[in-house]
Amino acid sequence: MAAAAALQLDEIVEEILLRFPPDDPARLLDAALVCKRWCRILAAAGFRRRFRELHRTPPLLGFLGNIPHTNLSCAARFVPTSSFHPRRADHIDWYALHSGHGRILFCNAPLCYGGLDMRFLVCDPITDERRVLPALGWCPFPSSANWNALVLCAAGGGGGCNYLDCHRGPFLVFFVANLYDEVVASVYSSATDAWSEPTSMLEPDGHRFCLWTKAQALVGNSLYIKYQTIGKLLKYDLPTREMSVIRLPAECSKQHIVLMVMEDGRLGFAAAHDSRLYLWSREDGPNGDAGWVQLRVIELRTLLPFHHLPITPNVVGVADGVGVIFIEFCGGIFTLDLKSKRIKKLEGSHVFCDGVLEIVPFMTFCTPELGAARIGDGSGAGASSA
Amino acid sequence: MASAGSGDEKAAAAAMITLISSDNEKFEVTEATATLSQTIRHMIEDGCTDGGVPLPNVTSKILARVIEYCKKHATAAAGEEGSSSSFSDAAFLEVDRAFLEELEEFDDAFLEVDRATLFDLILAANYLDIKGLLNLTCQKVADSVKGKTPEQIREMYNIVNDLTPEEEAEIRRETQWAFE
Repeated sequence: MAAAAALQLDEIVEEILLRFPPDDPARLLDAALVCKRWCRILAAAGFRRRFRELHRTPPLLGFLGNIPHTNLSCAARFVPTSSFHPRRADHIDWYALHSGHGRILFCNAPLCYGGLDMRFLVCDPITDERRVLPALGWCPFPSSANWNALVLCAAGGGGGCNYLDCHRGPFLVFFVANLYDEVVASVYSSATDAWSEPTSMLEPDGHRFCLWTKAQALVGNSLYIKYQTIGKLLKYDLPTREMSVIRLPAECSKQHIVLMVMEDGRLGFAAAHDSRLYLWSREDGPNGDAGWVQLRVIELRTLLPFHHLPITPNVVGVADGVGVIFIEFCGGIFTLDLKSKRIKKLEGSHVFCDGVLEIVPFMTFCTPELGAARIGDGSGAGASSA
Repeated sequence: MASAGSGDEKAAAAAMITLISSDNEKFEVTEATATLSQTIRHMIEDGCTDGGVPLPNVTSKILARVIEYCKKHATAAAGEEGSSSSFSDAAFLEVDRAFLEELEEFDDAFLEVDRATLFDLILAANYLDIKGLLNLTCQKVADSVKGKTPEQIREMYNIVNDLTPEEEAEIRRETQWAFE
């Protein structure tokens, strides 16, 4: 009786559906198939917004890794970590670079060519919408290691987006390249489908032909990129285009690191050395000069099947906000939950060869996209009109 | 409002409100307990609680449970206010943690009810606008359908499937991602 009475009220059904776990989107879909009322409530724009407001942090749905496809090419493969399975798991001849704003940014493989043939693709794995961006029109130096690119929400002017209102809204692709002693940047806007005029500035540290890794992080409005052979980061402020250089802690300058956004919104990074995982965070110093603080050391020996020693695990990705670190070890990829210290081997991750250096975690809210207008509470006659 | 100038918080906290259930049972509760309900808080602010607050939608059995929840959580809210103004040293954090654990245990035990009572509590929490209780009870229902098919969910809650096969197919088509 009570259940029947309560489930007659839209507001109560909505309160229940709002509390479905965001990292298991197939359950929301099952709920949509229960009856018209549930479907209608789930499909409303207001539901999506309140679901995001309640859960706040976009859940980890999966990750992309790049696998060899032919001798000359590669494919980016989506490996689910949740009940979300994209229609297209493999993107052949594309290399996954970055994910943000519910989109994934690819560039054409092989990565090492660059030059005028370089193209970018932005994909929405939930709707399967794909957009190949127009050519840059200028030529970065033909190497994989002197440029970086990322996709971000056009609302909020950069990293300042709270992801509550920007559902499937316009996106930007930020491209930055190192040309001799200058740093040149250009921004693509999905609203105009065009790249901005490139702007250039002198490389702040006076380096010439320096190489970058694909390690990058967007913290607030600033993009951080790691140099390959120098223990430093380039900081690029998106709105002002101001650049500066940040020195990494001396003991980490030669290590493979993954940049991340810490829980409090600061810049941080993760690195593995021997059998330990190290987490560092950027801190304000006593005189306003910022430094690094080693926040945590996690012993992996007890967590990973370490009889394979002396192989060193690699940190290959960080799911910002949800506290999950991706670790490559013995040809498999593992997730480490920083809160519970639980480690899990990901099924389907064996295709990534030993020594993969980076993966692209995919995090976004995924509520069923329903053409709900046609599913009313009435006789249901509308469904056939399509 | 009347106690605002006195500065005697004890006296303010001890102000009593009478709640009257649908079956005419009267419950005396402190204002701190009653104001976990936004609905009752507004009534108090509007000064319309003299002679008791009639709650025609809530039976005495359910109201007793709701008050039990509010009493516990009102104490918790008071405790939180106290600790945030103190020095947050290890001892205080330890006390906070113990208190939160106790509260969690209370909530778990509180939810050990049959399905009818659970939904009566949801209806009461919704009507009385008690956010914490609504969250707790709705989460329990959301968790209860974990791993269930749409058909099993309908069976659990006596819901009639009024979707046409075409509509079902349409929903599946539009959300193809979950069926690979």
